[in-house]
Amino acid sequence: MDVYGPRNIITRFFEHCVKILVFLSAVMMFFPTMNPARVTELINRTISLFTSAVSYSRLTAEAVRAIRLGWVMENNFTFILLASMVICLAIFGALLGAGLSTGNLRLKRLAYKLTLGGGVGQILGLLGIYFVYLRLWESANLERVLPQISSGFGVYLAIASATVFLSLAVLALTPKAAADMPYEMERSKQLVLMYLPFAALVFVFSYLPLWGWRYAFFDYRPGVTALTAENFVGLKWFAFLFQNPATLNDIVRVMRNTLIMSTLGLATSWLPMVFAMFLVEAKSARFKRFVQTFTTIPNFISWVLVYGLALAIFSTDGFVNSLLLNLGLRTQPINYLMGDSFIWLKMWAWGTWKGLGWSAIIYIATISSIDPTLYESATVDGAGRFQKMRYITLPSLMPTYFVLLIMAVAAFLSNGMEQYLVFENSTNTAKITVLDLYVYQLGIKNGVIPLSTLIGMVKSLVSLVLLFSVNRLSKMVRGESIF
Amino acid sequence: MATTRQEKGKTGDIVFNLINYTVFTIFTIACIYPFYYLFINTISENSLVQRGLITFIPRGIHLTNYVALAEVNELGTSFLVTVARTVIGTGLMVVVSAFAGYLVTRREMQHRTFWYRFLIITMYFNAGLIPWYLTMSMLGLTNNFLGYIIPTIVAPFNVILVKTYVESIPVELEESAFIDGAGYLKVFRYIIWPLSKPILATIAVFGAVGHWNSFMDSLILMQGAPHLQTVQHRLFNYLNQNTNLEAIMGRSGIVQDMLNTKVIKYTISMVTIIPILMVYPYMQKYFERGIMLGAVKG
Repeated sequence: MDVYGPRNIITRFFEHCVKILVFLSAVMMFFPTMNPARVTELINRTISLFTSAVSYSRLTAEAVRAIRLGWVMENNFTFILLASMVICLAIFGALLGAGLSTGNLRLKRLAYKLTLGGGVGQILGLLGIYFVYLRLWESANLERVLPQISSGFGVYLAIASATVFLSLAVLALTPKAAADMPYEMERSKQLVLMYLPFAALVFVFSYLPLWGWRYAFFDYRPGVTALTAENFVGLKWFAFLFQNPATLNDIVRVMRNTLIMSTLGLATSWLPMVFAMFLVEAKSARFKRFVQTFTTIPNFISWVLVYGLALAIFSTDGFVNSLLLNLGLRTQPINYLMGDSFIWLKMWAWGTWKGLGWSAIIYIATISSIDPTLYESATVDGAGRFQKMRYITLPSLMPTYFVLLIMAVAAFLSNGMEQYLVFENSTNTAKITVLDLYVYQLGIKNGVIPLSTLIGMVKSLVSLVLLFSVNRLSKMVRGESIF
Repeated sequence: MATTRQEKGKTGDIVFNLINYTVFTIFTIACIYPFYYLFINTISENSLVQRGLITFIPRGIHLTNYVALAEVNELGTSFLVTVARTVIGTGLMVVVSAFAGYLVTRREMQHRTFWYRFLIITMYFNAGLIPWYLTMSMLGLTNNFLGYIIPTIVAPFNVILVKTYVESIPVELEESAFIDGAGYLKVFRYIIWPLSKPILATIAVFGAVGHWNSFMDSLILMQGAPHLQTVQHRLFNYLNQNTNLEAIMGRSGIVQDMLNTKVIKYTISMVTIIPILMVYPYMQKYFERGIMLGAVKG
C-alpha cells in the first residue's frame, strides 16, 4: 500500500484531528467556563465539568436553599451529576483510545472504535443534561432557577460530534485488520503510554497551579469579583506591595523573620556532621545504637505533637514550672510559650531537637564506609584522635555536607510553616511569622488571593534563581553540583 | 618518656570519653524525656497531675483517661479518616512509585529524559500554596476525602528512589523474560516488584508516617468539612481550645475526675503518638535506609 497516497494523507489528517479533539475535551473538563453541566444559575460559576461529576456537595452548594424551598426538584441535580459522570467517563475512554492509536493496524482500529464510543458517550451525556434543562423549565421558581444552556454545552456538542464523524471516517478509510493479527505497539510507545496517567497527575497538581498565577494580575475577591477583563489590573499589586505602608511594613517584618531563621539554620548546618563524628568515637556499640534510636524519634512526630510536648514541658502547668514551684525555687509560674523573647532561638532549638539525630544518620553511614586502613596507617604515623577526625573523617564528609548545604541555601526562603503555625500566638506573631506562614495567613485565612499569590510567585521565582546560582557556584568552586 | 606520653593519652582519653558520653546522654534524655513525661502524666492519679506532682515516677496508675477518650466521637471519626488515608494513600503511592520508577529505567522509552525531568522539576519548583489551593478547589477536592489521596499518589522523590534501586537489579533478568515473550506489566509484576521489596518497604513506611502526621492539607482543604479532619488537625484544635474541650468531655458524659483540660490534652497527644512509637522499633532500619538512598543524586 502506498503510504504517501492521498487517501493515507487524509486518513492521517483525520487521525490527528481526532486526537486533538479528544485532548481538547479532556482539558476543557477542568475549566469552569467550559462546563456544559451548568444549566441553571444555581450551579456555581467556579465549578468545572469534572467537579460536577465528582462532588455532589459542590454541585449543589448554592442550590440547597432552593431545593429546601421546593423551587427546584433535587433529582435534577442527581441527574446532572450522573450525566456529567457519563461525559467524563466517555472522555477518559476516548483518551485511552487516543493513546492506543499509536499501535499496529488492529490496535489502531480498536483505538478509533474507542474514540467513536467516547464521542457517542459524550453526546448521550449532553442529551441527558439537555433533558434536565427541559425539566428545569417546570421548576416552581423560574426567576431563581434560571434554566440556561451554557456556551460550554455547544462547544462540547460540536467537539463530540466531530469526534464521532472523524472516527467513523478513519475507520472507513483504514483497511480491516486480519482477525489473527495480534494487538501490538512499539515498545518505546508502550512505555510512554503507561507513564502518561502519572504524568497527567503531575501535570494537574504541579503544573496546572502555575495557571493560577494569573490571579496576581487581577482585582479578584472570592465571591465578589471574577477574573474578567475589566478586573485586570496588570502590575497594580506589585506597586501596592511597595506603596501601601502597612503591607510594606508586614513584608519587611516577615522577611526579617525568614532571613533570621534561615541564617540560624545555615550557621548551624554543621551540627549533624559534628554529632556524627563524635558519636562514632564512643566505644560502646550499644550506646551508639541507643543514642541513634532515641534521637531520631522526634523526627517522626508531627509539629503539632511537638507543640503538644512543648505545652507539657513549658506551659504554666507544665514540667518546668511544676518542678520549680514544688521545689520552692519560684513562686509564680512563667509560661515560656508566651511572649516573644528569644523566640528565634527557641524556634531554632525546637528544629534542632527534632532534626539533629536524624540528619546525623547520613554522616554516620558515610563514616562507616571510610576505609579503616586509613585510620590504621594514621595511628601508626602517630596521629591522635583529633588529628584523625580533622584529616580523615572531616574531608570524607565534606562532599555530603556541601550537597546538603546547596539544598539548604536554595530553600533559604522556605522555612516550612507548620512549626511556626503551631507555635504562633498573639504575643509572638510579630517575630514568628515567616514568609510561608504569612502567605497562608494572607491567602487562606484572610482571603486576600491576588496579593498572596503574588508573594508566593515571587518567592518561587527567587528560589529558582537561588537554586541555579548556588548550583553554579558550587560547580565552579568545588566541582560538585546537585544536577 | 614513652610511658608518660601513653599515660597522658590515657587521661586524655578518659576525659574525652567522659565528656562525650555525658553530652550524648543528656541530649538523648532531652529527646525522650518529654514523651515519658507525657505518658506518666496520663496514667497517674489525675489530682496529683493537676497539682504538678508527677515529674519522674508515675503514681496511682490507672487507664481511665484512655477509656474515657474512646467515648469522644469526634476523635473516633478523625482516627478513621486518618487510618483510611494512611492505608489507601500509602498503598496507591507505593504501587504507582514502583511502576513509574520502573518505567523510567527503560532506556527504550520514547523521550525518556523529558518525561523523567518533567517529574523531577516539580521537586524544586512549585507555583506556591495559594495557586495550589485554588487548583484543588477548582477540581472539587476541597472538603472531599479524595483531596488527601489523589495529589499524593505520584511522589517524585519516591520515583527517584525506586528508579535508582531498579537500576541496580541485573538487567539480564528482565531481558531473558522479554525473550520468553513477557511484556512490561508481567516483568514488573514477577521480577521488578518482588526484587524491589526492600525499597518499597522503605517508601511505604515514610509514606505512612507522612499520612499519619498530615496536618496542613487537612487545615487548608477541609475548612468546611470538620468530619474529614485528620487526628493531627483535631489535636491542634484541642490543644488551642480550653472551653471547647470541657464541653466535649461533658457531652460524652465523662467522669468529673477527667474535667481537667491538662490531662485531656496529654492523653489525646499520647494517643496520636502511640502508633508511631509502636511501629518505630520495627521500622527503624527502613527509615535509615531511606535517608541513605535519599542521598543519591536525582
